Amino acid sequence: MNTAYNFAFFDEGSKREIRRATLKAIAIPGYQVPFASREMPIGRGWGTGGLQLTLSLIGKNDVLKVIDQGSDESVNAVNIKKLVSDTTGVATTDHTAEASLIQSRHRIPEVPLKKDQILILQVPLPEPLRYYEPSENETKKLHGEKEYSGAWLMLFEQIMKYGSMTTGADHPVMVHDRYVMAPSPIPRFDNPKMNESEALILLGAGREKKVYAVPPYTKVVSLDFEDYPFEPESFEDKHCRLCGSTGVFLDELVDEATDETFYQCNDTSYCIETLNEVEPFGVK
Amino acid sequence: MTLDIVHDLQSVYRKLVDSTSRPGLISDLSKQASLVEEEDQKGCSASLLLIALTLFDQEVSFKVFSPQADYVSQTINQLTYAKPTDLKKADFLLILQDAEKGSLEEAIINAKAGTLKNPHTSAFIIVEVDSVTSGEALLLKGPGIHTTELVHLDINENWVESRQEKNKEYPLGIDLIFIDQNHQLLALPRTTQITRNRVIEWDM
Repeated sequence: MNTAYNFAFFDEGSKREIRRATLKAIAIPGYQVPFASREMPIGRGWGTGGLQLTLSLIGKNDVLKVIDQGSDESVNAVNIKKLVSDTTGVATTDHTAEASLIQSRHRIPEVPLKKDQILILQVPLPEPLRYYEPSENETKKLHGEKEYSGAWLMLFEQIMKYGSMTTGADHPVMVHDRYVMAPSPIPRFDNPKMNESEALILLGAGREKKVYAVPPYTKVVSLDFEDYPFEPESFEDKHCRLCGSTGVFLDELVDEATDETFYQCNDTSYCIETLNEVEPFGVK
Repeated sequence: MTLDIVHDLQSVYRKLVDSTSRPGLISDLSKQASLVEEEDQKGCSASLLLIALTLFDQEVSFKVFSPQADYVSQTINQLTYAKPTDLKKADFLLILQDAEKGSLEEAIINAKAGTLKNPHTSAFIIVEVDSVTSGEALLLKGPGIHTTELVHLDINENWVESRQEKNKEYPLGIDLIFIDQNHQLLALPRTTQITRNRVIEWDM
């Protein structure tokens, strides 16, 4: 642990500011609360929102897990994990079930979250209406008036052009029947996990200076139409080539030498846990 | 042992997060409260002071309801640099145990509720009560609550109705935090719907 820095990197004043914003975010599910968003030792847009939330929450007894698109070992996840553990000395883990704080970029872990965990999602674009309304002043007004026809129209246009809703990730959701919210670029597969979640979900956008939240047991509905219902990605008839799991989010990989397509778990720690369950290795 | 403003206040914050995200969940601040210096607790409880130390700084304004309001305001101002201000402008309203009857209702009615564009510019009301584990039964529903949650609160005022009136135009509204004499904390954010749980008497 590097004691040249404050515990959890921030000075206490910065933590207080984020903490006040976070409590308001929890009280108004789905509403984007502006916050100061301090300079961080990583670039804005590389997870600073999530990182600031993590640093404002973390205590000596926490166990931290950081994932980036399902992987515990990608550069972004490793760097954030290192920064947090260097400035706090907290333990880190790869196992979802062991973590008390889980910071994630673009995935909700496969292992269901529990009551005593907090999921922190990194958000690049917190404003679901930004695609068709560039003015922040206008989008705030639209949210205030619950005027979301543009969001529906956006999905309608996709159906007219392509025959289905083409939001690959970040499919907008309605939170507590009030706010349309960007769930961060999680695949559609993960959207239903937000609904009535057991764990608190906090979302932080560092570059856009917004925090918002989905409290536990809160209604989260993906936007859709009666005749074009919301459909998560389907992996029917497919399984992970390593652990054989089905019903999880799979990455499609192509072996360029043989042109063969195969599938593999996106959540690497889940995959390893499943493998270890099947064939324990090492001496018992 | 003295209060560690980094680690102890982090624990207080996490308890605030737990209780706000799960209305009805009662958090225990007694361990941290026991570390607050006796000489700092001028007129207000240790747990109220803990919340002030966790959330208040020079950017925050507050208003104290108590016969000793000036004295308590001065203490909080000296400890946190937060500014005392009028009821209608304050970010935090602190209703102390010895406040006049009707103060909570007055605070709820007059507190700032935010605007439709900026509902987060509303007030937090922090109330010292006798007990958050005994008294009138209230049934809670809303985000953070699985089905329903039953809590007991000992307040002799019509605050439930005033709160309902104040919060009727969601997302506008006020968020409440109750702390009792045993340093137990209960939060009722604006999304929580409260029904007074009256016992129905059966004619047998």
